[in-house]
Amino acid sequence: MNTDIHRLLDEAFQGIEMTPDAQDLKEEVRANLVARADELEAAGVPPTEAAHRAIAELGDVRALLDATTDAAPRPHADGYAALQQRHRVRPKPGFVVRAVVWSIAAVIGITLGILGAAGVWPIPLGAQIGAFGFAATALGLLVGDSLSQETTTNHPMPQNRAAGYFLATLLGAYGLGFVALVALGSMPVWGVVFAALGIIASIILFAFLGASQTNRHKAWTRQAHTSEPPNRFEREPETAARFGIYSAVIWLVTFAVIAVLVFTVGWWWAPVAFVGGFAVMMLVLARMLFSPEKKS
Amino acid sequence: MTQDDAFAADLLRGHTDTIVLGVLRRGDAYGFEIYKAIRDATGGDHEIKEATLYATYRRLEKDGLVESYWGDESQGGRRKYYRITDAGRAVFRGNVAAWTATRRIIDSLLDVKESQQ
Repeated sequence: MNTDIHRLLDEAFQGIEMTPDAQDLKEEVRANLVARADELEAAGVPPTEAAHRAIAELGDVRALLDATTDAAPRPHADGYAALQQRHRVRPKPGFVVRAVVWSIAAVIGITLGILGAAGVWPIPLGAQIGAFGFAATALGLLVGDSLSQETTTNHPMPQNRAAGYFLATLLGAYGLGFVALVALGSMPVWGVVFAALGIIASIILFAFLGASQTNRHKAWTRQAHTSEPPNRFEREPETAARFGIYSAVIWLVTFAVIAVLVFTVGWWWAPVAFVGGFAVMMLVLARMLFSPEKKS
Repeated sequence: MTQDDAFAADLLRGHTDTIVLGVLRRGDAYGFEIYKAIRDATGGDHEIKEATLYATYRRLEKDGLVESYWGDESQGGRRKYYRITDAGRAVFRGNVAAWTATRRIIDSLLDVKESQQ
């Protein structure tokens, strides 16, 4: 193996302060140099010569470091609102019309399906399933179409990924439709199988899409975010940790209260406890995240 | 380098970001692979300087158009791979559209005939 590369690379980086950035660059350069030297050797260049030539092609590493770090601290005179105004992207009229059409279709499908399932409007089971399928497709189209639109802060999502979200929404919504059919008694209990299949497939698909999602924010948004002052939880991790523990306690108590309510006054009181728990958590969040700075 | 070469190199350099995104669209790659893809495509006549490429990677990463990760090679240093993001794909598409439109304008202004290509 050619060890000259490593010696020459060390020499090239001599006297340069080894910041994490410089270290990172050095490692990246190393692998590229090795690959280039291997290529030269394969072409018949002697190893030492190959190493020297690879390094020479690279040029001065100082210039490399300067070129890569100069863009970092650029002061931003503009506020977020001004930036947003400058990069404003208006929704396309065609999309607005389509979104309204999808939404109306979804509402119509859900309404017909529920009316049918509840027996208010006598339609056969097949038609009820069709109505929910119609609604689920409309919801999926709404999601997929919205994601593939360019917005002020985001680039449009590529077509096939947006199609993945369309499918996941469709499956999930259709699954919930089957839940409704079974719950309203218009379908036998075995209909739950379809519901479970749809919802589970949807969860798997959503998890996959979420895990493989890459950045979609525009450059100006990313820069605006990095130049924002850190909030209290970022500056004081211990406060954030305290908030986490308080939240856990609040929800633990809430669920205990829910259990008590269900067994004493009836299950319809349970949401009240839920709302109460949520309200308390929000108050604690406001108190801890945005409390006035203590004078010390 | 002749004057023609300098002109071509200048044009190429002006599109380094888009070219790198175009290479990464075909799949994740580390620095030398990207460099080689560009060099091979130009027939070795014009190459984009490595220093320019390193600066480009940093800029693309800062703008969220590419993501990087380290490979797990054990010999000869770990490779830093780049992957194009959804934002990168969108920017690439936009740049290609702009390039196609501009090329048409320049072709017509410089009186380039389609048959000569």
